[in-house]
Amino acid sequence: MSRIEAKKPSLCTDKPLTKDVVSFSLSVLSGIVKSCYGPTGRLKQLHNGMGGYVRITSQSSALLGGLSVTHPVLNLLTASVKNHISRFSDCGLFTAILCCSLVENFQRINFESSTVTKISRHLLSSCIDYLKSEACGCRLSVDFDSIKTLLSLVRSILASKPACMLNKTEASYISTLILKAFLLTIPHSVETNVVLGKCVIVPVKDKRVMESAVYPGLLIEIPVFQLASIFPVKRVSSSTIKMALFCISLSGDLSNIGDGPVIVHHGISLEVAVLDQLLNLGKQLVNDQVGLVVCQKVIHPSLKQYLKEHRVITIDRVGLSMVEPLSQMTGSQPIAALHSLSPTCYGSLKDLRTENFVSKHFWHLIPNDILVCSLILCNRNEMAWDELKHVCQTAEHVLQLTIKQPLALLGGGCTETHLASYIKHKSSTLSTGILKAIDCSQTQYQLVADAFCRSLECVACCLEHDDGEILTDMVYGHFWSVQSGFPSDCNWSDLVLKCGCGIYNNQRNLNWTVLQRQCIPFIPQSCSNRPSVNATDHLVLDCFTAKCSGLQVAVETANLILDLSYIVEDQN
Amino acid sequence: EIMAFRNVNRRRHIGLQQLSSLASIGRTLLGPVKSYKFIVDVSTSESALTCSAVRLLESLDLTSAVGQLLNETIQAQNKEYKTGMTTLLFLVGAWSNAVLECLQQNVPLSLVVSVMSEGLNSCSEKVKCLQLSVHDLYKGPKSVPIHFSSRSLGSQITENIPVSKEECFPESLHSHQASPCDPHDRCLNSHLCISDNITPSLVEPVGNKTMPAVLGSSLIASNFNKRTKLTHSRYFNTPEKSHCPLQTDNFGSAPIRPGACPYEFNDFGQLAMALSHGNQSSMKLVQDIFRCQQQIAERKGSSQFNIAEVVTCCLPGLSENYSCVCPGYITLVSPEKATVTKQLRDRPLQILLIDGDLREKYRHLGFNRPSNVSTISESVALQESSSESIWINCALDILIQSKVNLILVKGNVCENLMERCILNNILIINPVTDTVLHAFEKGIGVQLVTYLSQVNSHYVGSGVWVDFWKTLELDNKVPVSIKAEGIHLVTAVLCSTVTSKMQVTEDQFWTCAYRLYHALTDQKVFPGGGAVELLCLSHLQKLEEQSLKQADKYPSGELHMSSCWLTKSLTQYKSVVLKALASGWHQYLSRVMYNTASYESEFEASTFIDHHLKKATDCSSPSSYILKEFNKGIKVMDDVDLSIKQEEALKIYDNVTSKVEAWRRALDLVLLVLQTDAEIITGPKRNQLLNSHTSSEFTFV
Repeated sequence: MSRIEAKKPSLCTDKPLTKDVVSFSLSVLSGIVKSCYGPTGRLKQLHNGMGGYVRITSQSSALLGGLSVTHPVLNLLTASVKNHISRFSDCGLFTAILCCSLVENFQRINFESSTVTKISRHLLSSCIDYLKSEACGCRLSVDFDSIKTLLSLVRSILASKPACMLNKTEASYISTLILKAFLLTIPHSVETNVVLGKCVIVPVKDKRVMESAVYPGLLIEIPVFQLASIFPVKRVSSSTIKMALFCISLSGDLSNIGDGPVIVHHGISLEVAVLDQLLNLGKQLVNDQVGLVVCQKVIHPSLKQYLKEHRVITIDRVGLSMVEPLSQMTGSQPIAALHSLSPTCYGSLKDLRTENFVSKHFWHLIPNDILVCSLILCNRNEMAWDELKHVCQTAEHVLQLTIKQPLALLGGGCTETHLASYIKHKSSTLSTGILKAIDCSQTQYQLVADAFCRSLECVACCLEHDDGEILTDMVYGHFWSVQSGFPSDCNWSDLVLKCGCGIYNNQRNLNWTVLQRQCIPFIPQSCSNRPSVNATDHLVLDCFTAKCSGLQVAVETANLILDLSYIVEDQN
Repeated sequence: EIMAFRNVNRRRHIGLQQLSSLASIGRTLLGPVKSYKFIVDVSTSESALTCSAVRLLESLDLTSAVGQLLNETIQAQNKEYKTGMTTLLFLVGAWSNAVLECLQQNVPLSLVVSVMSEGLNSCSEKVKCLQLSVHDLYKGPKSVPIHFSSRSLGSQITENIPVSKEECFPESLHSHQASPCDPHDRCLNSHLCISDNITPSLVEPVGNKTMPAVLGSSLIASNFNKRTKLTHSRYFNTPEKSHCPLQTDNFGSAPIRPGACPYEFNDFGQLAMALSHGNQSSMKLVQDIFRCQQQIAERKGSSQFNIAEVVTCCLPGLSENYSCVCPGYITLVSPEKATVTKQLRDRPLQILLIDGDLREKYRHLGFNRPSNVSTISESVALQESSSESIWINCALDILIQSKVNLILVKGNVCENLMERCILNNILIINPVTDTVLHAFEKGIGVQLVTYLSQVNSHYVGSGVWVDFWKTLELDNKVPVSIKAEGIHLVTAVLCSTVTSKMQVTEDQFWTCAYRLYHALTDQKVFPGGGAVELLCLSHLQKLEEQSLKQADKYPSGELHMSSCWLTKSLTQYKSVVLKALASGWHQYLSRVMYNTASYESEFEASTFIDHHLKKATDCSSPSSYILKEFNKGIKVMDDVDLSIKQEEALKIYDNVTSKVEAWRRALDLVLLVLQTDAEIITGPKRNQLLNSHTSSEFTFV
């Protein structure tokens, strides 16, 4: 008999942001994400303290996935960022840092949250309008005729994650491979509905990075000890191999038996019954002239033996991640039943070979229409491999986003400082009509705008981890770093080298000032009228789509957090 | 559930300090003369003897994150190359200290990372000019002298080998026992056989040898640093020790003058010995394996060193003189099985290969047993216990019907079935490794089965022979050999009188095997004896000078962050960081020299290195100076004892890829830890930390 307990009352906290524990937790989280940002960002060891796997990373997805925050305010923040990452892969740290800074800076001005929300929404839309307009001075259009910009984009993503442990040669090698793999997934003929192919990452750990490679088609590793029993594949015609793809287990167990108790009479073996069913399935496959059977899970040894005796090649335990590309590449429908196979579910391959890369053996599945490719990704150890794999996936995703919207933003802090200069100028010349529409005073607007710009600049400053000082120029509004402790009377141009994104070199007339120091608002000049933009090597670029979304998510989330007046927690 | 957060990167980097103290335990393992370590588990009083970095780290209880990272790095190198782990461990320690030094001098952390990694990269490129082509050193398998009789019937030849070797035993045993006063032999054995020269004793840790507190394990390590004077450890040649027909080749009999003609070592034996790094006896076995494979290859047409078809069989308690190489599979069996063996010898057998367990309840991987199925039966007699006997009867029927005499099983075998098989003169060998199973699969062209129900005539192989391997009995077990024509498998029988040294002996054998294997797959070797490290030192000196000369202009594109102020201030710090990188190799060289007992102190060794380094740097081409010195037989790493005649001095070679990779992995680990500024601990451990005395170090969120 169950006992009924009285329900505990819910716990209600008002004005959660004013509580010490919340602001403390928020500042710890903010400290973690800030210290990870950029190519010289510091790494974090994530582990359970009990001998579990140690992950060394500076990636937002790994950090936020590994951190288990309990406070609802922090949960709200991490959930928004995670959601952004799941949609865009890139700019996770940017979003998290900006959101934390906005909360900190908005809290400091201590206005009614509805006023802050209204003004910051307006500021956000000014930013987005500017970024999306032709006049935007911190974006480049990506030219798909040359690989230079694309390569810069990929290289910037790789360089921002030092835990991959790549040196310069390796970084540019991997960048080229990622780009090559991406190009292999673009269809040759463009119709109205363009569907990009897939790049499958084949893990090869403990090897040198330079042994990585890209191949069209799919590569599936063959366990060393299966090599002895390989035979030529059975073909329907010289260039067609019929193939069946199973996404259920063919191991002969009773996984689909259901939940309730099953009672069997002695002498009846369910196992034998299932095996008979499997062998019948095998018979049908042989009759249908299938040459290759691929299974996501395990194939029963007896079925394997039967198929082998009839010259059918079996590949099992390929894993869930392979099913989609396999089905896409061969046109086969993943089969989820042991009986009533329809002949339409079979797919076809052009060729099946065995090949030897990085001293491992692979099945090489070659489709008729190549839209699937395999990136054999090597790195020296498990954790560096994990980090690199994630970066490669991010880069591939960024390239996909860029092909949809062929724009890139200047990286290395330049977009943030440029945008801040733009907003400063814009807010100083605001018409009264707009103020009326938002229902706030000029001073209120100015204060919120300042906090907004400080937050943007704060993100840029987080790129510096070695006590350098950040300057900005009063012409383009770009980001410049210098060694700290310079004498007050020195000439700035002796100290600076290049701006953060690498587009501008040291020029005498740039009129530098220390970032976040009050200065007269100016209209930041655009970089796009610079003729040599696309000729410059090694630009630092960011994904346009991901950064715009990150900006939006950060502002919206910060507004939401500021707006929290009560937290009601169920104590049961 | 909840997380704890610790800021690692205080003024003095905790992680690097941990790394440095962990790595320091491996210092005495460097070089050809190793001091053994006893690892004692205080709670169980179990102890292990070790002299390899891998085994040492395996035995430690490394719960700290840094300890785990170190272990993972060493294991990854071991998995991939099987050599270079001690070098890796040492350099991790040396470079951690060097980096800590840089931090003390306020070098920006990001600069340490990029200059060190570019510096190593540059050195790895530079040392390529020292690579020697294996092809030049050894003209392919044709030059491998084969002293088998070349009659082509495999089973006869294979049976000849152990027998004829046995005939040689008395002589070789005699020669060995007679030689302890022979200085050469003593040297050879000094690091192979501790019972002779080094008396292990448990020493309480003292001074800087104190175990780092971070280990938190029950470890007492002791350094048996009783220094044995070693005259010429690595390139010691013992022609009088060839005691086996496999080993009597022209190795050693044709006098070679290395000083005169540097590249005329076309003898395979010379290459192998140069790679043995003091483990001559192990390398001799490896050479025999290679020859054995060449002999098989003559019929099959491949000429590679096939390390995948080599297995070892350890016979602890037997004299090392019994160590030898035999074609086929050799393993120990129980006396009951020996009785079956007696019945089965002298006739061809039918074999079955089982890829799993031989038990009623065994199911293949991926088979999930349903938990909700229950069986009901009408009669009480049919109980669970009888189902096994039904299965056994059925299994036995299958075996008898298919006339199987011999079964190799990968996993466990049901006790009752085993007994019934013995009664029926069916020999079951288990557990057997994948290597062995698949060698038989390939060799006799029969496929593996998982269940006996799969067996039909296609799955039973024939033409297999079983016999006793010598007439020995060890710990109530008898070695038997299983052979078949077409089998490429070669077993290295390893013996050691000191049982606790068995593991060490086996490890040393594999190290030698992999060194030779890598040399043949890389097709190139480095000159050993410190030549490569010396070139790195001289190259780094050059880079340092260049960086000072270029003080006014910055090298563009040298760093990842070419736009950053760090690029501009590069010249200010570059030489400090390059010096730190160099100090790692410098310490490595002096430690090896000190460990080989040629120098009284590491300082003395260090002076010697500086002397050669200056000479090399003064040369217009340091690499050619170093190669010249190498060919003269003067090694930085070894003593230049004038008592050694030039003729006796053999070359030392090192593997190329594994060495360079060990450097890279060591530096990568140090730089990873350096860049880490916080440890995030999630999960239930948090509450323990909250209540522990170290809780002040953590931030709890």
